[in-house]
Amino acid sequence: MEHVLEVRGLVHRYGDHTALAGVDLTVKSGECVALLGPNGAGKTTLVRNVIGLIEGNADLIEVAGGDPRRAETRRRLGVVQQAVGFPRSLTVGEIVGGAAARRGCPPEAASRAIAEMGLAGLEKRRAVTLSGGQQQRLQLAMGLVADPVLLVLDEPTEGLDVEARRRFWKTIRRRLDEGAGVLITTHLVDEAAAVADRVVVIDRGRVVAEGTPDELRRTLPDRRIEVRTKVPVSVIRALDSVHSVDLRDGRTVIAATDSEQVVSTLLDLDPEANDLTVATASLEEVLVALTNHEEVLI
Amino acid sequence: MSTRVFRTEVRDELLAIVREPTALFFTVLMPVAFFALFATMFGEGGGFGVGSLATYGAFGVLSVVLTNPGVGLADARERGWLRVKRADGTPLGVTLSAKVTAALPYAIVTLAGIALVARFITGPLDLPQVLRVIGVLVLGALPFSLFSLAVGARFSPSAAISVLNAMLIPSVILSGLWFPLEMLPTWLGEIAVYLPPYHLAQLALSQVEGGAVWGHVAYLVGTTIVGAIAAALAYRSAEV
Repeated sequence: MEHVLEVRGLVHRYGDHTALAGVDLTVKSGECVALLGPNGAGKTTLVRNVIGLIEGNADLIEVAGGDPRRAETRRRLGVVQQAVGFPRSLTVGEIVGGAAARRGCPPEAASRAIAEMGLAGLEKRRAVTLSGGQQQRLQLAMGLVADPVLLVLDEPTEGLDVEARRRFWKTIRRRLDEGAGVLITTHLVDEAAAVADRVVVIDRGRVVAEGTPDELRRTLPDRRIEVRTKVPVSVIRALDSVHSVDLRDGRTVIAATDSEQVVSTLLDLDPEANDLTVATASLEEVLVALTNHEEVLI
Repeated sequence: MSTRVFRTEVRDELLAIVREPTALFFTVLMPVAFFALFATMFGEGGGFGVGSLATYGAFGVLSVVLTNPGVGLADARERGWLRVKRADGTPLGVTLSAKVTAALPYAIVTLAGIALVARFITGPLDLPQVLRVIGVLVLGALPFSLFSLAVGARFSPSAAISVLNAMLIPSVILSGLWFPLEMLPTWLGEIAVYLPPYHLAQLALSQVEGGAVWGHVAYLVGTTIVGAIAAALAYRSAEV
């Protein structure tokens, strides 16, 4: 598969602050890559370089076969950005129609994209009167008019309800099947794990891990043990191989490398312990371990 | 394709003005109302006619081209809409020139309103002269839109309105566009020759009364160059 995005050695500085310190990133045709990392990791700076809004120093940055600083290249992208407010005066039809005109597409392309994103019937509505979820879909409809070879989606499912999210991913899956590449940032780690072929973890401006969701999960030796037990947290925390202990909804949640030993000791201490599950670490736990950040990962 | 993009951008800008007309209502109404007020007060024997169309017209056209493009740009920037346009591959020059172009019909409406009031208050006007004055004012006002865009690239919409009005009102008064320079203290009146609105009004006035043209044209060309540099620098350092 050919690359629809190739970034090598991207450095971006804001004054003395280095937001990106030599990032490499690729997305192939038909591949969905999720970009994860804590607040301030450099994800938005990376995305803005990819879509040509800002310009860092890179050995190579090639998007859809061209330079993202060139308008012709950017017209081959479909982009959903965060915190976009539509003009008060324009309707859905006029906004997507305008996007089609800017990309040199016929008006029918706008109608198709509107229908694809489930906005048919809303063409004459002012965009600002749409719900947050509908506005997200409208932005994606703008990006879909020209059959983009790369979709760059920054928190695209923010504000979408379950049904809208399902429809959204159905559209993205279809575009992936048709050969488009997708680069997505999301704070919904489970969603990223479910939809991404590959996950790239970025922290403090560097790529700290990369692989399929399963590969990343395997990098963390911890197992997650959940159990209802009367054994005090302080006692469990003192056991060998236990890394962390939390109480959640009446259950004790333990992260430990030697789960068999921990479970055996727990049952010795509390034979009535029940509701016991042992699972591999979640992707979110992997990310916390990789980045040493406990806050929400976005 | 650029023509189609430009048409689309101009259409969007015009729709924004037509569908959200409140601000423009005052932009258009105020110069016409000012003209009506002063023409009523001083019109009889006061020389109000095509000549005053040049000075009040200069104020009217400046109030449109100096405020609308900049405030529109500031609004688009703050909303993130400018980011969408850039990511869409819309050439910056097209976006900016569409904002200026969309202001022109409203500048013409303002001038037509002033001409209409002049017709009723001061009597019949020489139509070719009126058309020449309007043409000169509309073309000559274009450099001022560059300053408007420079402000719009740097400030929030509400701050842009304040800054642009702070540029507009003193400069039109000191250029003698509201009342004759002779009514100002001498030292204030002497400032006028350094102000671009003065040269715009004098250029328009020369279509009625004759007189030197090229000195005013040169001054406006210089204004255009300074405005273009200001707009380019402001936009380069602007956050989108």
